Amino acid sequence: MSTRSDGDNRSPLRHRSLGKLAGSGLIQLLLVGYAIVVVYPLLIMVASSLKTTGEIFANPLSLVPESIRLANYVEAWNQANFGTYFRNSIFVCVVSVVLILFFGSMAAYVLARFSFPGNRAIYLLFLAGFMIPVRLAIVPLFIMMRDLQLLDTLWSLILVYIAAGMPFTIFLMVNFFRHIPRDLEDAAVLDGAGPFQVYYQIMLPLVRPALATVGLFHFLNVWNDFFFPLIFIRSENLRTVPLGVSTFFGEYTNDWALMFAALSISILPVIVVYLLASRQFITGLTAGAIK
Amino acid sequence: MRAFRVLRRPSFVAAGEASLPTSRGWADGLKRYTYLLMLLPALAMYLAFIIWPFANTIRVSFYNWSGLGPLDDFVGLRNYTNLFDRAPINRQFSNALGNTVQVFLLSTVLSTFVGLMFALILSRKVPGSRLYQALYFMPNTLSVVVIGFLWNLLLNPQYGAVNAVLRGVNLDSLTRPWLGDPDFALPSIVAVSAWANMGFPVLIFLAAILGIPSDLVEAARLDGASEVRIIATIVIPLLWPTLITLIVLNFIASVNTFELVFAMEGSEGGPFFATDVLGTLFYRMAFGGVGGAYAGTGLGGAAALATLMLLIVLPVSVFVIIYQRKVSHEY
Repeated sequence: MSTRSDGDNRSPLRHRSLGKLAGSGLIQLLLVGYAIVVVYPLLIMVASSLKTTGEIFANPLSLVPESIRLANYVEAWNQANFGTYFRNSIFVCVVSVVLILFFGSMAAYVLARFSFPGNRAIYLLFLAGFMIPVRLAIVPLFIMMRDLQLLDTLWSLILVYIAAGMPFTIFLMVNFFRHIPRDLEDAAVLDGAGPFQVYYQIMLPLVRPALATVGLFHFLNVWNDFFFPLIFIRSENLRTVPLGVSTFFGEYTNDWALMFAALSISILPVIVVYLLASRQFITGLTAGAIK
Repeated sequence: MRAFRVLRRPSFVAAGEASLPTSRGWADGLKRYTYLLMLLPALAMYLAFIIWPFANTIRVSFYNWSGLGPLDDFVGLRNYTNLFDRAPINRQFSNALGNTVQVFLLSTVLSTFVGLMFALILSRKVPGSRLYQALYFMPNTLSVVVIGFLWNLLLNPQYGAVNAVLRGVNLDSLTRPWLGDPDFALPSIVAVSAWANMGFPVLIFLAAILGIPSDLVEAARLDGASEVRIIATIVIPLLWPTLITLIVLNFIASVNTFELVFAMEGSEGGPFFATDVLGTLFYRMAFGGVGGAYAGTGLGGAAALATLMLLIVLPVSVFVIIYQRKVSHEY
C-alpha cells in the first residue's frame, strides 16, 4: 500500500495461485452463506405471512406464495389492535427519547463545564449505571409504581426509560462537550448569557450529530424493550408492540399465517428504516463501545 | 440532593460579601447557580428510579416480605441460604446457574469468536464488504422477544423451516424437535441469540482491525510472512483488549438472558427446566409464583437472587472498565 514500487515485485502469479483462488472462493462462500442465514429466515417470514396456514404447512420454504393473501395482515392488524400498539410504542419512544436527550445533555453540559465539589462523584455515579442491569431492580420499581398509582400506565415505562437512559447519554455527551472549544461560550457569557442560554443556544446546536446518534440508540432500545411492559402493563389498550406480539402469540398458537403476519408487521418497519439509514444505525449502536 | 445544599451554602456567603442582599443580589446569586438546577432533572430521575430501587433491592433481600405491608420481618441471610439449601428452590437455582454458564460459554464461541472470524475476513478488501456488514448487523435492530417468536415457528418440528431445509438436503437424520429436546433446546436458543447479536462483535472487531497501523502488517508481508502468520502474530495480539471487552459484554448479556427463553420456552424454561436461566427464575420468583411453588420465598427471595446476580456482574464490569482504562493509557 505504502509505495507503488513494491507492487511491481508481486508477480500476478503470486496473486492468482491456485491456493489463493480456492481461499478467496471459500471466503466468498462463507460470506454469502452467512448472509443467507441472516436474510432467508426473514424472507420466509414475509412469504409465509402471505400464505394460508395450509400452504405454510405443506411448503414452508417456498418464497413465492401461491396467491398473495394480504387478508392475513388485515386480520392480524385488527385482531391484535396493532394500531393501538404502534400508537403506544411511538408515544413512549418519542416522549422518552426527547426527555432523555434533553435531561441527559443538559446534565452532561454541566458536568463537562462547571467545576464544583461533587462533580466527579456525580459523574461516576452516573457511570455506575452502565454496569448494573436495571431490570434487577424491578421488584422495588414495581412496588414504587404501584404506590405512585402509575402501574399499568405508559408513564411508568417512560420514567424508567428516562432514568435508565442517563448513564449512556451522559457518558457520551460529556465526552462531546469536552471536545468543544471554550471560546464560543466565553463570548456568550461576556454578553451576559446565563448557563441555560449558553447550553441551549450555543452548545446544543454544536452537538446535534451526537444527539442524533444517542437518540437513535435509545429509540431502538425503548422500541424493542419487552421486559418493562411485561411487568408494568396489564391493559390491552396500553400494550406496546413487543408486548402485543407476545400476547398475540399466546392467543393464536395454531394460526401460523396470522402469526407470521403479526411478526412481519412488527419487524418490517424497523428493517425498512434500517435499510434506509444503516450507517447511522451502526454508528449509533456501536458508539458506546468504540468511544 | 444533600450534596446541593452543602454546595450552596458557601456560595451564598460569597454572593453576600460581593453585594448587599438586595433583590438584585439574590437574583445574581441564583443566576450563578442555575447550572445546578440544570443538573437536577437527570440526577433526580436517576436517583429515584435507578439508585433508590437498587438500594431497596439489597434491603428487601434481608426480609421476608410479600410486597404488601411494612418491611418488618428481618430474616438476615435466609433468603440467600434458601437458594442453596431449601428445596425446591435450591435445585432450580443451581440448574439455572449452570444453564446460564452454558449460555455464556456457548455464546462466546458462537457469537464472539465467529464474529472475530467474520471481521478478519471482512477486513481484507473483499467485494461487497459494506453490504455484508450492514446485512449481518440487521438482526441487532430487532426486538429480541419478536426474534424469539419468529424462531419458535422456524424451529417447529413438523412445519418449521429448519427441519424442512434439513429434509430438503437429505439430512433427515439431523431433524429433531429442537426446542422440545432437553439436549438441544439450550444450544438452539444460544444459536438464535448468536443470529440476533453477531453483527455487533463483527463491527467492533472490524473497527479494531482497521485501526491497526497498516505499516506493521505491510512490513511483515514484505518479509514474506504468510497471511495466517500475520493474523496470528500481529493482528490477534493487538485485538486482545477488544476481545476481552466483548467477552465481558457477552458475559453480562448472558447473565441477563431472559427474553429469548421466555419467548421460545416460556417462563418455566422448558422442556423440564432445560433452558431455565437466572433471568427466568428471577421472573418467576418475583412475579410468577405468588403463593405457588415458591411460597415462603416471596419478594425477599427474588431480591436476594437479583442481588446475587448483581454481585456476579459488578466485579466483572468494574474489571473491564479498569482494564480499558489501563489499555487506553498504554497507547
